[in-house]
Amino acid sequence: MSTQTVAQPSVESRSPAPPAPKSRRTERSAYLFLAPWLVGALVLTIGPMLASLFLSFTDYDLFTSPHWVGLANYRQMFTADQSFRSSAAVTGKFVLLSVPLKLALALAVALLLNRPRRGQGIYRSLFYAPSLLGASVAVALVWRVLFSDKGTVDRLLSAVGIHTGGWISNPDYALLTLVALAVWQFGAPMVIFLAGLKQIPRDLYDAAAVDGAGRIRTFWSVTVPMLTPVLFFNLVLESIHAFQSFTSAFIVSGGRGGPSDSTLFYTLYLYQRGFADFRMGYAAAMAWVLLVVIAVLTALIFRSSRSWVHYAGDDQ
Amino acid sequence: MGIQQLSRLRVVALGAVAAAVVPLAACGGGSGSSAGNGGKTTLRLVWWGNEDRAKATKSAIELFQKKHPNVTVQTEFSAYDAYFQKLSTQLAGGGAPDIVQIDRPNFGDYARRHVLKDLTPYVGKTIHTNDIDPKLLAAGKVQGQLYALPGGQLTQSLVYDPAAWKKAGVNPPPASGWTWDEFTATMKKLGASGTPGTTDFGWAIDWFEVWLAQQGKQTYTPDGKLGFTEADLAQFWGTLADLRKSKAVSAPSATTKMDGSMPNSAYVNGQAASEINYDSSLTAYITAKPGTAAAPLPSANGKTGMSALPTVTWGLTNRSKNADVAAQLIDFLVNDPEAGKILGATRGLPPNQSVRQSVAGSVSGPSKAVFDYESSVASLVTTEAPVWPVGSAEIKRNFQQVYDDVIFGKTSVQAGAKRVVDDAHQSLGG
Repeated sequence: MSTQTVAQPSVESRSPAPPAPKSRRTERSAYLFLAPWLVGALVLTIGPMLASLFLSFTDYDLFTSPHWVGLANYRQMFTADQSFRSSAAVTGKFVLLSVPLKLALALAVALLLNRPRRGQGIYRSLFYAPSLLGASVAVALVWRVLFSDKGTVDRLLSAVGIHTGGWISNPDYALLTLVALAVWQFGAPMVIFLAGLKQIPRDLYDAAAVDGAGRIRTFWSVTVPMLTPVLFFNLVLESIHAFQSFTSAFIVSGGRGGPSDSTLFYTLYLYQRGFADFRMGYAAAMAWVLLVVIAVLTALIFRSSRSWVHYAGDDQ
Repeated sequence: MGIQQLSRLRVVALGAVAAAVVPLAACGGGSGSSAGNGGKTTLRLVWWGNEDRAKATKSAIELFQKKHPNVTVQTEFSAYDAYFQKLSTQLAGGGAPDIVQIDRPNFGDYARRHVLKDLTPYVGKTIHTNDIDPKLLAAGKVQGQLYALPGGQLTQSLVYDPAAWKKAGVNPPPASGWTWDEFTATMKKLGASGTPGTTDFGWAIDWFEVWLAQQGKQTYTPDGKLGFTEADLAQFWGTLADLRKSKAVSAPSATTKMDGSMPNSAYVNGQAASEINYDSSLTAYITAKPGTAAAPLPSANGKTGMSALPTVTWGLTNRSKNADVAAQLIDFLVNDPEAGKILGATRGLPPNQSVRQSVAGSVSGPSKAVFDYESSVASLVTTEAPVWPVGSAEIKRNFQQVYDDVIFGKTSVQAGAKRVVDDAHQSLGG
C-alpha cells in the first residue's frame, strides 16, 4: 500500500479527492504521535480511576487486600458521618465565597491593566506573581504566620484597637483567611480576562461613545456581554479548582481542618480518611462523590450558559 | 474570542497541572532499602519528635554506623502532625522505610494490618528483651506475638512553671500527689491572676483515659471494645466546661492547636500556666521554656490513673529487605548502654532496666528532670493501661475534632459525647 502511494506522488498532487491509503497512513502516524498521551491517559488517569471506583466498594485499608462491601461506604457517608456533612458544607461555602470574589477581583485588575500606560508589563507580572507562588506550601506557611495568634495581622489590628486574636484559631474567621488566600491568587483568570478584553473590537466602543454612553454604561453594555465567553470559561475552571483545593487548608490547619472543622475541606477529610484512618475504600468513595458533584455542577453551568453567554456574531 | 485561544489556554492549564502532579508521583516512587554495592547495606529509619530528640537520635545512629561500617542508615525526621500520613503513603506505595517509630494509637492498626513484621523469631537472638519490663513489652504485643519494641518509658505529668506560680502567689503542687479539689482550686487561682491555670485537657483521649482509670474504667476493654459510655465522657467534658468559664483552663483558641508538640503548646506559648502531657516531653519543655518542672496528676478515689507506657515503639516493616540488620539496629537503640547514654531521656526513661540504672547515675541536664520525676512518682504509677485496638487512631482524631466543636460552642457537651461514642463504635466495628 505504502509503496503505491510513494510511487505516484504526481497523481496525488493533481487530484483533490483524498485516496484511502494515504488517509489510513496519516491516521496511523496520528496515533503514533498521540501514543504518549494515550498511554499516559490510560495508565495514569483512566486506570487508576477505575481502580478507585472498584476500591470505593471495598474496605481497602492501604495494606491488606480489599474486601467487597457493596454500598456500605456510600451508605455510611450519607447517613452516619457528621464530619462528611460538615466537610461538604465547608467546601461549598469556600466555593461560593472564593470563586465570585476571585473572578471579580481578576476582572477589576484586568480592566485596570487593559488601559495603556507606562510600565504596564511590570504591573502585569507583579499581579500575576502570587499565582505563580499560589499552590506552594511556602505561601500557605506565610499565611499561617500572618494570621496566627500574635501574628502580623493580629498585631496591626491590635495597634488600631481591634483585637480579634488569631484568625486561624477562630472558627468564624479561619475559612475567610483561606478564601483571602485563594482570591489573592487571581493571576490566572486575570490573564485570561485580559486576553478577552483585547479581543473586543474597538469600533464597538467607538459606536458606544458616539451614542453618548458613559463609562459604566459602556462597561455593562459592551464589555460585559463581549466578555461572557471568557467569564464562562473562567467560572468553570475556577469552580472546579475551588472544589479541589487542599494545600492551603492542610498547611494552615496543620492537617487537621480545625478549628472546630471550620477549614475541614472535603479533600482534606478525604485525605484524613484514607491516610490517617486507613479507610482508603471510604476515601475512594468520597472521591467519586466529589467527581459526580463537580460533573453535575459543571453541566449545570454549561446549560445555564445558553442564557447568559453571548458569542459575538450570533446575533449580528 | 477564538475557541482556539481558549483551548490553547486549557492546554497550558493542563500542562501546569501535569507539572504539579508529576513530581508528587515521583516522590512516592522513592526506592526503599536496598542491599547496595559492595556488600553495603542501607537502612531507612523514620521518626518524629522535637529538636532535642532529633539531635540525640542522630548521634546514636552515627555510633551504630561506626560500629557497623558496612551499614548506612538514612534517617527521616518529621513533625508529628504529618508523620503518620506520610508514612502510610510510603508504605502503601511500596517505598517503605525499614524501621518505623510508632505511637500507641497507631500501633494496633499497624500490627494488625500486617505492616509490621513479627519480631518474635528474633527474640533471644538479635533482639534481647530480658532487661525490659514485661508490662512495657506487652504494649508491643498482639495475641502474644511481639511486633514492636518500646523506645522508652513514660508516664503522665503536669508540667508547670514554678517561677510563674510563685509570682501568682500559688503553692507548687505537692510531690506526693493531690486531689481534684486542690487541683481545681489552684487552677482557678492561677486563672484569676491572669493566665489560665492549665491547658484545657479535654482535647486528648489520653487524658480522658487517666480520668476513666480513676473511676475504675478504661478506654478499651481487653477484647478491643469501647470501655466508656456517653455519660462518662459527658461528665468529664462537663467538668471542663465549668473550669473554662472560670478561666481555670485555656481558651478555645489556644486549646484547638494542641497536638502535644512544643510549637503548638498553649503552655509554651504562654496561654496557660501548666499543661498535662507525657513526661517524655519534659526535656522538650525544658528546652523550650527553661525552668519547667513536672508534678503528678490529681487523683480521685485514691487513684492517680497514671500508667507506665512505652513512649514510642520501634517496629520493623514487613517489606524491609534487610530485616536482619534492621533488627540489630532496633536492638542497639533499645539495649545498647552507649546508645542509652546518648539518647538520655529524649524518649522517656530508657526501656532497658540495666541501661536505665547506668544512665541514671550519670544523667544531667533536661534528661535528669525526667529521671527525677519518674522516681518521685513511681509509687503513684499503678494503672495498667490497655493496648489500643484497630481503629483507635481514628477515634483519637475524631475525639479531638468533636471536642473542638464543644469548646467553640458548635455543639453541646451531651451531643458531642454522644457523637464520639457513636463514631467510636463504628470505628471499632469495621
